[in-house]
Amino acid sequence: MDIITYEIIRSGLYAIAREMKIAMMRTAGSPLMHASGDSSAAIFDPEMQLVAQGNDIPTMLGSAVISTKVSVEAIGRKNLRPGDVIVSNDVYLGGGNHQPDVQFTRPVFVDGEIVAFVMTRGHWTDIGGQSPGSYTVATWDVFAEGVRIPPVLLYRNDEPVRDVLALIRTNSRLHDELMLDIQAQYAGTFVGDRRIAALARKYGTEAVLAAMRRSLDHSETLIRQAIRAIPNGVYTAEERLDPIEAPGWQPESPLLKVAVTVADEHMVFDYSGTGAQVRGGINCPLAVTCNSTWFTVKAITDVTIPINQGCYRPVTIIAPEGSVLNCRYPASVVSGNTETSPRVIDLLLRALAPAVPERVVGQSNCAACAGIFSGRDPDAVRVQRMGRAFVTMHDVHAGGMGARSDADGVNGIRVYVGNAGSQPVELIEQVSPLLVEEWCLVPDSGGAGRFRGGLTSCRTYRVNYDEATFTVSGERGRSAPAGQFGGRAGSLFLCRVQEAGGGERMVAAKGGVTVVKRGDRVSIQPAGSGGYGDPRERKRAAIEADLADGYVTAEAVLRDYGLISKPREAAMAEQPR
Amino acid sequence: MKRVGIDVGGTFTDVVLVDDADGRVWSAKVPTTPRDRVLGAVEGFQRILALSGVASCEVGFLGHGTTMATNMVVEGKGAPVALITTKGFRDILELRRVSRHDRADLYDLMFRNPRPLVPRRWRLEVAERIRADGGVEERLDEAALAALAERIASSEIEAVAVSFLHAYLSPVHERIALGILRSCLPDLFICASHDVNPEAMEYERTSSTVINAMLGPVCGRYIRRLEEMLKRLGFAGELLFMQSNGGLATPALVAERPLVLLESGPAGGVSAAARSCEQADIRNAILGDMGGTTFDVSLIRDFRPELRTKNLLDTYAVRTPSIDIDSVGAGGGSIVWIDAGGGVRIGPHSAGADPGPACYGRGGTDATVTDCNVVLGYIDPDRFLGGEFHLDAGAAWRAVEETIARPLGIGAVQAAETVRAVANARMAQAIRIMTVERGFDPRDFSYICYGGAGPLHALDLATEIGIRRVVIPPLPGLFSAFGMTVADQQYDFQAPVGATLDELTDADLTQCFADLEALGTEEVARAGLGAAAPAIIRRADCCYVGQPDVIAVELTGGDRIAALRRNFEAAHLRLWNFASPGKAVMLANIRVQIVARSGWRGGTAGEAGAAAARGCGERHMHLDGVWSTLPVFPRATIPAGACIEGPAVIEEHSSSVVLRKSQSAVVDGNLNLVIELAA
Repeated sequence: MDIITYEIIRSGLYAIAREMKIAMMRTAGSPLMHASGDSSAAIFDPEMQLVAQGNDIPTMLGSAVISTKVSVEAIGRKNLRPGDVIVSNDVYLGGGNHQPDVQFTRPVFVDGEIVAFVMTRGHWTDIGGQSPGSYTVATWDVFAEGVRIPPVLLYRNDEPVRDVLALIRTNSRLHDELMLDIQAQYAGTFVGDRRIAALARKYGTEAVLAAMRRSLDHSETLIRQAIRAIPNGVYTAEERLDPIEAPGWQPESPLLKVAVTVADEHMVFDYSGTGAQVRGGINCPLAVTCNSTWFTVKAITDVTIPINQGCYRPVTIIAPEGSVLNCRYPASVVSGNTETSPRVIDLLLRALAPAVPERVVGQSNCAACAGIFSGRDPDAVRVQRMGRAFVTMHDVHAGGMGARSDADGVNGIRVYVGNAGSQPVELIEQVSPLLVEEWCLVPDSGGAGRFRGGLTSCRTYRVNYDEATFTVSGERGRSAPAGQFGGRAGSLFLCRVQEAGGGERMVAAKGGVTVVKRGDRVSIQPAGSGGYGDPRERKRAAIEADLADGYVTAEAVLRDYGLISKPREAAMAEQPR
Repeated sequence: MKRVGIDVGGTFTDVVLVDDADGRVWSAKVPTTPRDRVLGAVEGFQRILALSGVASCEVGFLGHGTTMATNMVVEGKGAPVALITTKGFRDILELRRVSRHDRADLYDLMFRNPRPLVPRRWRLEVAERIRADGGVEERLDEAALAALAERIASSEIEAVAVSFLHAYLSPVHERIALGILRSCLPDLFICASHDVNPEAMEYERTSSTVINAMLGPVCGRYIRRLEEMLKRLGFAGELLFMQSNGGLATPALVAERPLVLLESGPAGGVSAAARSCEQADIRNAILGDMGGTTFDVSLIRDFRPELRTKNLLDTYAVRTPSIDIDSVGAGGGSIVWIDAGGGVRIGPHSAGADPGPACYGRGGTDATVTDCNVVLGYIDPDRFLGGEFHLDAGAAWRAVEETIARPLGIGAVQAAETVRAVANARMAQAIRIMTVERGFDPRDFSYICYGGAGPLHALDLATEIGIRRVVIPPLPGLFSAFGMTVADQQYDFQAPVGATLDELTDADLTQCFADLEALGTEEVARAGLGAAAPAIIRRADCCYVGQPDVIAVELTGGDRIAALRRNFEAAHLRLWNFASPGKAVMLANIRVQIVARSGWRGGTAGEAGAAAARGCGERHMHLDGVWSTLPVFPRATIPAGACIEGPAVIEEHSSSVVLRKSQSAVVDGNLNLVIELAA
């Protein structure tokens, strides 16, 4: 096919993926999907190979490579008709990443033939299960995490299947907005269907199929060339995950272990030796492990390569079944997707550091760090205004991102596979009985190094609920984010409740539900991040600037960099706070 | 009266002079002087006077737009600012919303996070706290604030931004703080968040206030110097500045709130287009402005530019009413490259003005979209910018041959054709995404194109999207500067409300607007608004309770709560495809726009002297796969009412449009070229 047609179809497919996401955001009912955009869209060829995706949530897109194939095969390709949409969220029967992320898959027919599949994936705010918001780590099995939806048809001939819809609706605490989210994900698949069909009518089905094949080969060629630039060898690393610390749990810290073999244009990621799956939602289904691996391959080779499944072809993944990185039914998984997954990326960056030293970063905070307060609202005016007596505040928190080979890390940021933002302070105070007392960067939380790790932030809430449940899903409460090439480690996750009565207690990163009362102060501080390179090589001007800006304290400068002389600007850093 | 428009861009300063007695127009282009942009602007003014033979004292009006403010933010070259926040919250400016910024590739571990606009050492805190209900939780520590002022006084800081939590609801502490700071620091530019952007969500409000502060001292100096130098040249007319909202404002108001200058350049083009729509009776239009480095898309609906109140400038949040414009990196100067897998890539790098595209002959060896247009004959190297700027066609051919054709294993012509097709597809996709994102179907719009490269691609884009009518206004290459001469004065004011519609009565609503209008009218009068009776447009920012984003709804059907609710739900339905009639609606802010119809509404008579400068000719070009020779019609020689049948080239000073065989262009009474396309 000629280059013009190829380029137009190829770029057209990526634009269609973007338009699908827009259609979805424009129809969604939950703030998570329509404002935070916690949703993704992608296009697959008739062999269920991912050919185009938007600049959406990486964790949703990588795992869709597996779940789309599983979904289509579960129903059977020959059973699919135009206007059918398959729904599924289940990690065991649908190849999903975790239960709250629900996928819609739709075949695109042109002249009776399937020319493509399109998928939309959205984070449903509540899918039932043990706790409001469906985000608790201390569960015994996947059933406690919410409704399990195997691949089933939710639409036939563009009409909803009422029975299935009713069953799903009944299983969410937020069923009204969920119904809108379902329409939205359907609308996304509908737009994708129409646009791809139009492309096929304009350029011919054969041209579209050929462009898809060529586009996959094209990205594969580019990634192979990029892998070739990595020195051959076997690169290994191992680390321990944080344990679940809840009443009734034996603290287990499963080992994460990898051997990465780089052989010319090919990479093998062998996770053999990784610990067995555990009780509690820190396990990863295979889709999550694959996604973390693929993310890392893309990140350490060339981010400008057009992303599609061709990028993953030269990558082989071995993850022992029954391990924490390829868990078997019925292990629970919710935080495998948001916390263990970034830990896998950190593990890989540590392993690959000798191979691609300039492409890795110091280890990072590795958590969405969802903190959820839920209880009765004592403010009668607000109850009237909001039309509800209970209020659930779901917020995510920003930690550090590790230092790079040529720059300091990033302060207070979401890293790697997730990117949903945190709630504005003024919004939190408007809609919930919480007052935010402080939200600030934490000095010295970024590990020292030639380049310093990014700092974490600390958000302190004063509880004005009479009583509320509080859960947090953190990471790195026990294992600090390490530095690279002599860079020092960053700080640990910390969550503290200062009780109104004067007592104080710590909340574990992976704990159960705790109860907080009026006047309590809850501080959430994700982990910091690691530095890069020997601290002795850090430029003095950079250290002095950090001191003047209060990113580091004078004591830390003395300890980490051995500098005693107090720079002129130090006085500024010690301003009254 | 003679009217002058000066648009100071990143590379060139464009100037037009219009004689509103007979509609004659003169234009000039001079290099922008980045070190001191006033010099280039003044140079442009003198040039246009010399060209037109008009004396400076005859110029009654000067509209001025500049990209200076944008460049200062992007390059981090504003005045040194100190930020004072509520204790515990100085890092809001750096933490933002904690997600990676809008331009970061999410797979990129090396993404560059733009520097915080104020270094942490100058982000200061003072004890005070207002609650979400507007009540005082903790009183402002005035002594501590005075101590901070003292520290600032002995530093290099030139401006101070004050931003306290919930100050939009209760500015009491910010007002006290302003009083203390102004008395301690009389020479500094000082502003507070309740004044700059009285609206909820602390990061966006703080960021807007800080940007206003960093622009304040520099823009103030610029405005004073420009006024002075123009006066020295004998200019005694009215000087107004183009704002982001597409309207002009007095120097006094702009100096106080330089934030309104951020989209000053592109706003000129949009307000000119709005005037074209008004004259040609085009209700809805998509505007495509293709310049050297970007392709900018915006919308006209119901004869007015679509505005937005929230914007990202180089990833920094800014909230000020601003034309709703989306950019893609696909300008004429975008560099084309072939990746190792044989894929054609355009941008994100641009050849800029120096060295510029290869055909500029300034040593550039990378092929750009412009070079491809030269190879294919869409641009005549001998007549670029009316022949003032000769292009090196050989260099364009060499660059296309070496950097595109050879790696692809095809000929230079085919390579250039490929690039044009890919660039067109990219721009068509940008237009589609811009419109569907806002809930519109692009096929319901006309397409108005401008910018030097705009007309070159217009017909292909419109065909690709399914748009039926393309309009190319007069002076497309100088459209922004022209817009400065025709725009109205327009002032935007806002106030927070923070109550649900159920909690308000019609009388409350009337009172809110009356108060804001009184405040706005007074401020405008103080700044010396011209005699024309202003029109007032009322809008209300509404959302369902708990939603983080508001929709600005126009108030039609009187100050009635019921009408407001109806309009909000219709807008919500259009934008998000659903409404929730049972849910409480929050009235977050009210907005008042005061518009004085002060702009010129006559028609242009075309560019003076242009007709004589060029004769007819022929252009050899590659069209739809074959080389053919097309007749060339200089646009200035085509009278109103005439119709040009394709195939033909219509050429003008700054651009040209190529008509295919079945296409024809009609010149309407306002000298717009109108091309109706087959469905």
